[in-house]
Amino acid sequence: MSDQKVLLDVQNLKLYFRTQAGPVQAVDDVSFQLKAGHTLAVVGESGCGKTSLAKAILRLLPRNISTYTGSILFDGKDIMKYDDDEFRREIRWCEIASVPQASMNSLNPVVRIEDQLIEPLLIHEKMSKQQARARVAEVFEVVGLPVDFLQRYPFELSGGMRQRAIIAMALASDPKLVVLDEPSSALDLLSQANLMNVLKKIKHEINTTFILITHDIGTASELADEVAVMYAGKMVEYASAQYFYTDAHHPYSQKLMASVPTLREDKELEFIPGQPPSLINPPTGCRFAARCEKKFDKCSMQPNTTHLGNRATVQCWLFDETGEVKHA
Amino acid sequence: MPSLAKTLPQEQKAVLRIEDLHTWFEVRRMGFFKAGDVRALDGASFELYEGETISIVGESGCGKSTLAKTILGINHISKGSIFFEDQDLSTLDKEGWKRYRSSIGYIQQDPYGALPPFMSVQRILEEPMKINGIKDKAEQKKRIRQVLEEVKLAPIEDYLPKFPHMLSGGQQQRLVIARAMILDPKMLIADEPVSMLDASVRVEILQLLQALQRRHNLAILYITHDLSTVRYFSERIFAMYGGKIIEKSSTVALLQQPLHPYTAALFEATSDPDAENLTTFKDVPAGEPPSLMNPPRGCRFHPRCRKIIKGLCDQEMPPEFWVRKDHAAACWLYKDKA
Repeated sequence: MSDQKVLLDVQNLKLYFRTQAGPVQAVDDVSFQLKAGHTLAVVGESGCGKTSLAKAILRLLPRNISTYTGSILFDGKDIMKYDDDEFRREIRWCEIASVPQASMNSLNPVVRIEDQLIEPLLIHEKMSKQQARARVAEVFEVVGLPVDFLQRYPFELSGGMRQRAIIAMALASDPKLVVLDEPSSALDLLSQANLMNVLKKIKHEINTTFILITHDIGTASELADEVAVMYAGKMVEYASAQYFYTDAHHPYSQKLMASVPTLREDKELEFIPGQPPSLINPPTGCRFAARCEKKFDKCSMQPNTTHLGNRATVQCWLFDETGEVKHA
Repeated sequence: MPSLAKTLPQEQKAVLRIEDLHTWFEVRRMGFFKAGDVRALDGASFELYEGETISIVGESGCGKSTLAKTILGINHISKGSIFFEDQDLSTLDKEGWKRYRSSIGYIQQDPYGALPPFMSVQRILEEPMKINGIKDKAEQKKRIRQVLEEVKLAPIEDYLPKFPHMLSGGQQQRLVIARAMILDPKMLIADEPVSMLDASVRVEILQLLQALQRRHNLAILYITHDLSTVRYFSERIFAMYGGKIIEKSSTVALLQQPLHPYTAALFEATSDPDAENLTTFKDVPAGEPPSLMNPPRGCRFHPRCRKIIKGLCDQEMPPEFWVRKDHAAACWLYKDKA
């Protein structure tokens, strides 16, 4: 799959929110590339900008935006140049679908599942009702739900089923990219595992590109080809999952991995003392410096992005292009 | 954290003993016609020893929180008994209940929801003492200082006037723990204490609970849906399904080999961070947990179980089979191995 073309190319994306105390730098200068058919897992602690990144890509923005800049090349098109109407007509849901956080609870309780699921197809794809129904039945099978459940109301489905119905809704318009925001964190363990199986199957069979946003690094490994670690609005590491889970580079990624409890392996758990910085007035240098054990004088400046071959891209002064650790 | 080689306590005093405990909730139709019972907790027996942690794992609706709340006296007991330090709770009068409640600390899942937003840290910590008759101001001050030091909310003077919204999630949870500890309890009930917290804070809170346990020889009932944290934290693990405890084991034995097919499925479903996961599918049973108003006949897991023995599992409720001295499963598969 490595020779696949780049589907999403994000460069210097910034999303700042305006507040009374000053601009909140929720997404600050984030750049990455995602290949078609790959899944990117965006991980990090709460408030690190994961969801804001998803919203910035989908342009689902609140009103208090102070900065929204950068470039997003999607399938070769610079979608930042689209005006809102064009974006809505041509990109959102047709090309990039999303499963927002807790969206399984956003189904209308008094409307049958089918009528809710065909709605985006009627609006975005201009399908006839009949076509839309047939298409929805198709994707219902893909996510492993019995087709007669389409006639049910949301309350007649369990949480895991509702979540799968929502994913079916996102897949119905055959988008190139699906953004999943914490798709499984509200589910029970077994439903979670079932859902991951379904997503994995979709990934293999339909070759959909996913961005999976989650705080659960263990579950992320079920689906991720690439892992992006966010900290205080910055993407501090972007790595191939193959290397990330055994050999994370950024000191924050390492600490984060060390804090994840494992079931099968016995390891010493560590925690990261202190708290992430405020995003209103973040420190000028590396944002993790205050909590970092490997801090040295250079860390008071914002680190460059260093490419370590095809394994990882890291924002940390410890690394140079050869992947050598400069200050041990 | 010490490694998983925490073993069963030998010859220790049982703080809590539970015998055949049932908690049923009546469901009424149109206000007064009885429509049936939700058998949230349907027969649980065990002992919790001094200085020991028992983890109770299971999915939502399996009865684990009902168990906790019944022990706390929030839910009524439908059948069975609870003994606290050999005293039957059903014999307690109002004063007795108050004394009993003051000797168990309760740590809630959502720290923000558990802390009154209009009270300062100081008042939150004074409240349990006022209710339980610790009126001496000097004593109150001493205790507040002590618990806040123990949960590492320092410098103490900075925190006392703060309100819950001024604290981070981790700090709020530490305050909840401080409140649970202020009456110097013998036992803690922690209902999903870390599930709302970030990974790095999670470890911090669990280590804090462990340190408190060692210092005060606390018995802890740790309720969680997250199997991966239990190995670092408990001596014994109980798995619950459909209102029943279906497997009881020492942590070491369970991690080697879960016996009950449901526990095995929970194991399979838990993902460790590992890039290999990408290539494999999880072998987990489909379906949903049973309705507790109308539970299936026989073993409650049998409709989802692949190892079902027809004519037995769907007819008769399996008793506990003790396969080893520290490992039991309520499953007919082990009827000849006990």
